[in-house]
Amino acid sequence: MLLSLSWLREFTPYEGGARALGDRLTMLGLEVEDIRNPYAAISDIVVGEVVECGNHPESGHLHLCRVDAARGELLDIVCGAPNVAAGQKVPVALVGTRMPDGMVIKKARLRGAVSCGMICSERELGLAENHDGIMVLPAGTRTGLRLVDALNLDTEILNVSVTPNRADCLSVLGLARETAHAFGLPLSVDDPPLTGDDGPEANIPLEIEDGDLCRLYAGRVLSGIRVSPSPAGMRYRLNAVGVRAISNIVDVTNYILFECGQPLHAFDLDKLRGGRIVVKTAGDGERFTTLDGQERTLNAGDLCIRDAERIVGLAGVMGGLNTEITEESRNVFLESAVFRPECIRKTSRRLGLSSEASYRFERGIDQKRAVLALNRACAMMAAASGGVVRKGVSRLEPRPFVPVEISFRPEKAGDILGVKLDENFCEKTLAGLGCAVTREGTRWRVSQPSWRPDLTREADLTEEVGRVYGLDSIAPVLPPVRRNFADAGRAGSEFSFRTRVKRWGAGLGLTETVNYSFVGHKDLDHLGLPAQGRISILNPLSAEQNVLRTALAPGLLQSLRNNLAQGAAGLRLFETARIFEDPGPDTALMWDGLPMPARETEMLGILLYGTRYDEAWPHAEADADYADLKGIVEHLFHFLHLPGTDYEDIGEHPWLLPGVNISCSGRAVGRMGRVKPVLAEIFHARKDVWLAECNLDELRGLHDKTRVFFVPLPVYPPVRRDITVMAGEYPRAGQLLGHLRALRLPLLAGVSLQDVFEPRPGDRHLTFRLTFRHAGRTLKDAEVDKEREKIAQSLVKTFGVSI
Amino acid sequence: MDIVATLENLVREMEERLARADTLEELEVLRADVLGRKGRLARIISRLPGLPPEDRPVAGQAANRIKERCAALFGERRSALLASREAEALAGFDPTLPGRAPWRGSLHPVTLIADEICEIFTAMGFEVVSGPEVENDHYNFEALNMPPEHPARDMQDTLYITEKVLMRTHTSPVQVRTMATRAAPLAVIAPGKVYRRDSDLTHTPMFHQIEGLMVDNGITMAHLRGTLTALVRAVFGSRTRVRFRPSFFPFTEPSAEVDISCCLCGGKGHHRGEPCRVCKETGWVEILGCGMVDPAVFSAVNYPDNVSGFAFGLGVERVAMLKYGIGDLRMFFENDVRFLRQFA
Repeated sequence: MLLSLSWLREFTPYEGGARALGDRLTMLGLEVEDIRNPYAAISDIVVGEVVECGNHPESGHLHLCRVDAARGELLDIVCGAPNVAAGQKVPVALVGTRMPDGMVIKKARLRGAVSCGMICSERELGLAENHDGIMVLPAGTRTGLRLVDALNLDTEILNVSVTPNRADCLSVLGLARETAHAFGLPLSVDDPPLTGDDGPEANIPLEIEDGDLCRLYAGRVLSGIRVSPSPAGMRYRLNAVGVRAISNIVDVTNYILFECGQPLHAFDLDKLRGGRIVVKTAGDGERFTTLDGQERTLNAGDLCIRDAERIVGLAGVMGGLNTEITEESRNVFLESAVFRPECIRKTSRRLGLSSEASYRFERGIDQKRAVLALNRACAMMAAASGGVVRKGVSRLEPRPFVPVEISFRPEKAGDILGVKLDENFCEKTLAGLGCAVTREGTRWRVSQPSWRPDLTREADLTEEVGRVYGLDSIAPVLPPVRRNFADAGRAGSEFSFRTRVKRWGAGLGLTETVNYSFVGHKDLDHLGLPAQGRISILNPLSAEQNVLRTALAPGLLQSLRNNLAQGAAGLRLFETARIFEDPGPDTALMWDGLPMPARETEMLGILLYGTRYDEAWPHAEADADYADLKGIVEHLFHFLHLPGTDYEDIGEHPWLLPGVNISCSGRAVGRMGRVKPVLAEIFHARKDVWLAECNLDELRGLHDKTRVFFVPLPVYPPVRRDITVMAGEYPRAGQLLGHLRALRLPLLAGVSLQDVFEPRPGDRHLTFRLTFRHAGRTLKDAEVDKEREKIAQSLVKTFGVSI
Repeated sequence: MDIVATLENLVREMEERLARADTLEELEVLRADVLGRKGRLARIISRLPGLPPEDRPVAGQAANRIKERCAALFGERRSALLASREAEALAGFDPTLPGRAPWRGSLHPVTLIADEICEIFTAMGFEVVSGPEVENDHYNFEALNMPPEHPARDMQDTLYITEKVLMRTHTSPVQVRTMATRAAPLAVIAPGKVYRRDSDLTHTPMFHQIEGLMVDNGITMAHLRGTLTALVRAVFGSRTRVRFRPSFFPFTEPSAEVDISCCLCGGKGHHRGEPCRVCKETGWVEILGCGMVDPAVFSAVNYPDNVSGFAFGLGVERVAMLKYGIGDLRMFFENDVRFLRQFA
């Protein structure tokens, strides 16, 4: 809401500055975002008097003027406007003045004649769009005054951010009320008496189908109007608050809307068929063309204004093209109504059609002011258009305003605010805001003012008292934190587990990324992710963000691309975030016992790319490979105390080759591998991209089940033997290791892979180191050799390998 | 020749040869030749038993003396050689060469700030809770006193999945979920991702919030002020000033927005002679929204009306931007490692 300080002063004699008012309003909950001067660009223009005006000897249309601008001497100014004449008061741009279009006025010579300034038109000053020669000011205007002062322009505009509850403050009147109360000033509202007993009575018959949707409808008739531009003062003021001036009829409706918050609509009475108004919802599929020329398809929920035959307005949102005021209009029916906020909002949102009117109707209208506003508008309109206001008001009010009576306990309000409230302060505050207060012991009866639809409950009044008391004056106190014993021992939150994993990742040397939860369908398609189970955004911002991710890979790959574009040579990224899947219509998902719409799984993603080390020296230069990625994954499982991990070749996978399934204690917990180079290409990857994704919810479950027990340290020394298995591609190293561990030989304390040697492609020599130990004595060489032999035989027998 | 003279000769010869031995290897050859098990000294000593008994004590003493003398000479030379070898080895030592750096990792600034704030609250006794990111309209709006067609829904442009399912626009639905399943007293915080249909210089469609909720008998606005003032001082320093400005949220009443004195200009409104770009000359920057839990929210979760509570919601990126002086919100989600590695 743009508030003009001089407009405000028409309602309350506030003499302070704009900044001080802004600060006060801000601390009352009406945040002033900035203070602007819409006429800053013409603040240097002064009023001058054309003392002499003659023709330029060298030109048919130029005039040589001598202008008095109270500068001590007359200024020679060459002017090309046909309407310039001696004796006129005119706006003058002196030498050195910067015009709104950026041009700086310089001393110039026009066809031999010196010109020290410029006489301006309204358009050159940004005050109007037409260009009918120079602007001529009223004869009494004082020479030498700044133009903005001479015209009394609104030069101080406060941009107030009005919260949705404060419908009343979407008007100069409402903000004047707050100002008057805040500074202890009187508020003068000039409610004109019912005007217009001039012509014969004109009563337009009204009909309201549903009083819940239209609580009040009123209208009056003006006859004999002439549509023309509004008087300058009104145009300049509307311009100052960001409203384009249109005509003396439409401008008045906007002026009243800004002044007292009541939206009005002017119909061309001669186009209202049947001379009657019906307020009624639209038929499903009914079509209607609004003032902006758009044809719109309505549905049964849209409230409409109709004449005897057709729709003539979309109630509270926008009027119709069919009854628009045009230059030919002579008679006006002016509407002032109060509609149900939810109904207006629904229509406005569905049609994507928000207007100053609908914005106010959605938030609530002062019903008791509707007819007063109508009368004031009629008086202004008649004055501006030369018409007469006809006798009589058409008015139907199926739901008259009844103030809500609220029970208010000052002591309770103090308990909520944490201060001791003085009862007289409470009474003064509430009464000052317009409430009727009846003090009865500790429980008062307070009734709501008609302009405050937001005050209906005790909490609302507590807020008002607190706001005026000053939330910033409440002394801070730290609360004692009590917790419910029933919650003691609840399972730790996912947050603490995720935090541990994140710190593990950063500590290990990975860089944490955060990617958007949404990607484009095409990103998921690119990786061949299934289309089934995806969750699409109904109203996405763009096609790049129209579906929730079902894997972390797309986001990590986008981060890869961003970094490669910046010249990164090696990357180790990770992310912990949720992926989303549609559970299908028959699955009811729960979060802590309450329904949740989507399956959300917390994942850990890791991406490795390019050079293994950030700095070459003294490391050997090499690129990250599978062993790096697997080492990180194994490190994580070790960190989380997770036993029994298995890695299995996936075979066919949409985006990984090779791809490996990771399982832990028999549960699938993730996958990893190399992104297929053909898919990685569009991310500008020239080297292998290694990617792992693990299900953190699964890992957390396994981790929570793991119990850590102390194992006593061995007393007797170990004996080590190496064994080399000559195998082909199969058996896999993991199979051999698994077999050795599964033997569960009492003396075999440990097995590890020592070396892999490939004498020729397809042949592998795998050397394992076997560690033997007895808990109670030192082992003899002979018994160890016997054990090793047993192991060798078992390998030969099981896998057919040679040792 | 007299055996003692032979021994004395051995010492002289040893001295000469030691002086010529320039390496530890030559020294070892010399040691074996003279002092070794089958060395010359040993051979001389082996002749001792053959001497006449009256000569033996003198010869024996001489042999021992010579043996010690030789060992000492040898030891001196060895130490000298060792010292010079070490000195040679260290001649090329350059302490300014870079270390063999292990991988360096980093946490995202959002994580760093969220962790810091959560730690502050858990130290006060708050518990961390969470909820789904895809929400039902009920938890995101209706139970928070925002029925359909409430104009306050305009404050949060929403990304919808279906008419009744949406991306949560704030972490406040976690308040509802927590109260719906647990009784008072409660003191919880809920960090997490939230989503808005908004994308420009100062808005991204996803960002992070931390929700706080405390419910008990006798919780007041003064407690809210105390708690948030403590938070601000912990995060931004004890000299930061805090301002509570009345505002409006459908789920709290009274509601307030909290401003802190500008981190860049210290609240003066100008910085190094220029108008402050962070606070736009006001000296204050908005940091979070808060208020006393609205009775309508309590009744939506069937809480008794003798409890009261406060709630607040804070934008994590906002805090990170102010604390680290980051000017562009979008950098948080571009994941440029040159950005990410600056913070930890």
